[in-house]
Amino acid sequence: MDTQFLVSFAIIIATFALYIGIAIFNKAKATSDFYVASRGVPPIFNGMAIGADWMSAASFIGMAGTIMLLGYDGLAYIMGWTGGYLLLTFLLAPQLRKYGRYTVPEFIGDRYDSHTARVIAAICTIAISFTYSVGQLSGSGVVIGRLFEIDAKLGTMIGVVLIAFYAAFGGMKGITWTQVAQYLVLIIAYLIPVIFMSLQLTSSALPWLSYGELVGKMGELDRELGISEYFAPFTNGTKWQFLALMFTLMCGTAGLPHVIVRFYTVSTMKAARWSGAWALLFIGLLYLSAPAYAAFSRFILMTKIAGSKITELPAWTKSWIDTGKLQLADGNSDGVLQWNELIISNDIVVMATPEIANLGVFVIGLVAAGAMAAALSTAGGLMISISSAFAHDIFYRVWKPNATEKTRLSVGRWSIVVATLLAGLIALNPPGAITQIVAWAFALATGTFFPALVLGVWWKRSNAQGVIAGLLIGLAVTLGYIFAAKYGGFTILGIIDTGAGVFGAIAAFLANIIVSLATAAPSQKIQEEVLDLRYPEQMVYKDGEVWMNEEKA
Amino acid sequence: MFPAVSNIVDKRGGRMKKIDKAVADQYFREKNRYMILYFVIWFVVSYGVVLFAEPLSEITIMGGFPFHYFMGAQGAVVTFIILLFVNAKVGDMIDKKYGIDEEQNVRLSAGKSVDH
Repeated sequence: MDTQFLVSFAIIIATFALYIGIAIFNKAKATSDFYVASRGVPPIFNGMAIGADWMSAASFIGMAGTIMLLGYDGLAYIMGWTGGYLLLTFLLAPQLRKYGRYTVPEFIGDRYDSHTARVIAAICTIAISFTYSVGQLSGSGVVIGRLFEIDAKLGTMIGVVLIAFYAAFGGMKGITWTQVAQYLVLIIAYLIPVIFMSLQLTSSALPWLSYGELVGKMGELDRELGISEYFAPFTNGTKWQFLALMFTLMCGTAGLPHVIVRFYTVSTMKAARWSGAWALLFIGLLYLSAPAYAAFSRFILMTKIAGSKITELPAWTKSWIDTGKLQLADGNSDGVLQWNELIISNDIVVMATPEIANLGVFVIGLVAAGAMAAALSTAGGLMISISSAFAHDIFYRVWKPNATEKTRLSVGRWSIVVATLLAGLIALNPPGAITQIVAWAFALATGTFFPALVLGVWWKRSNAQGVIAGLLIGLAVTLGYIFAAKYGGFTILGIIDTGAGVFGAIAAFLANIIVSLATAAPSQKIQEEVLDLRYPEQMVYKDGEVWMNEEKA
Repeated sequence: MFPAVSNIVDKRGGRMKKIDKAVADQYFREKNRYMILYFVIWFVVSYGVVLFAEPLSEITIMGGFPFHYFMGAQGAVVTFIILLFVNAKVGDMIDKKYGIDEEQNVRLSAGKSVDH
């Protein structure tokens, strides 16, 4: 066992002990606590918890590598995954908070007064969260496997046990405070290597300001090599694919059940507003740093690794070549590694760069711990969403309305265990790359929940038949486009499977509106409840009038 | 600013005062006007810059960034964060202008969550 292994292992164990300690300390006792942490989490900490929920293995491990390989075209992920917070915070979060239901299927079931819609929404929640968690588990498998030098499948199984343990026993309350800790670990782990590389390459401790000059320099290097410039737009897809992907990621952000449920944990509409702002600030710290991370990694590879003699390459190359994620082939047999002879997988850029830049065992171990925090925290939030969709929305609200709280809690816990094991089984042989699986989950959320929630909150005329048609047609169009584009080579304007959400959303909006208008308006009570969402808690819409509650507590 | 027309008592025993519907509508419209403004800025800094990425790439700022790249990597994200904080602050100011008391909201909200 080498020093690197011991240091990484110690850091990961210390951070896990911290998360599990917090989860046990907060062990949930009542249903209300289990799902939404009693709605008393202050906005700034809720913002951090949303950040940890949000930033998954795809953000932490995959994104910088994607930008490094795609150049400008990779920035659709940066803008898409941040811009969605405006849709969420302006159009949905405060209003959903005022409506005061536990989960997204519960909102859809009660707002549209339909058990059918509730069950379809619960199934969509399970499908979206499950797809997403497969990506997280395979990500954690790669990190654990690489770190302990065991098979990635065994690594995935270790991840499954950890997630099932604290999601099932901590509930949302445990997870909220666990996730604050996880946010802090992952952001520190991400920023330290970027800042160190910035000091090495530009002598500035502020990478966000300093990497511009490297972007320009790399453009010159690319021109000399005769390849397209790093920052040249639309070299890996059409402009329409860029726009469609950005739209899909934005609307998916506003429709992801495990992110929306976080806004039920705040006390008021005002707190929901502030939680959205803090969340994006904390998320933005990582998203602003990812393109800098990408630029530094690419610059180091281009200037320090490319051009070396094949026989004199540093030790780190060996262990990554063994994983199959890095290929170095001396194509023209001159004994020197050229830039175009180096093929690096986007999934290892963040993990390998601290080794490439020689940042020391402590930083490398910290990055591994941060990657684990990102994968586990998101998987934990996803499992809670699956558990509440099944135990609360399907089992309790539709199937067994007389179930005791104890039974429901135990059904919730068992559904976490079963869902984690199933997702783990699929993650052993994932159906695509991590980022691709995650993009499908976003496309599904864009094609189903985004239209259903926006119309549910903003259009009182939308009714049960409309939302059922919208959810089913949106789901069918999104899935159909993903499969047609991925396996059938069918594309419109060059938009591939990751941009499928744009078509799903258009179809779902149209279906919801047309079917709603063709059928009877919802009841007076429902229409009043929708109008009531226009105002803060203290103002109440009732019988065509607005009332102000003036009682002092 | 709300002329009392009549008083009723809510389920919890709190006093409810009817307010002018026109004033309530004005609250809603004022918030929506700001929201539309935020969305216009949101659209221009993200979709707008992508649509015109080729001509904008000729401009270089901050010591080397082509403008379209800078907006995608940093400018858009920073604008989004600022818009969200402006929205939170402006929302508080509008609430204050219409006499909304956050403590009341907390109390009402705690009572409104559906407990199953």
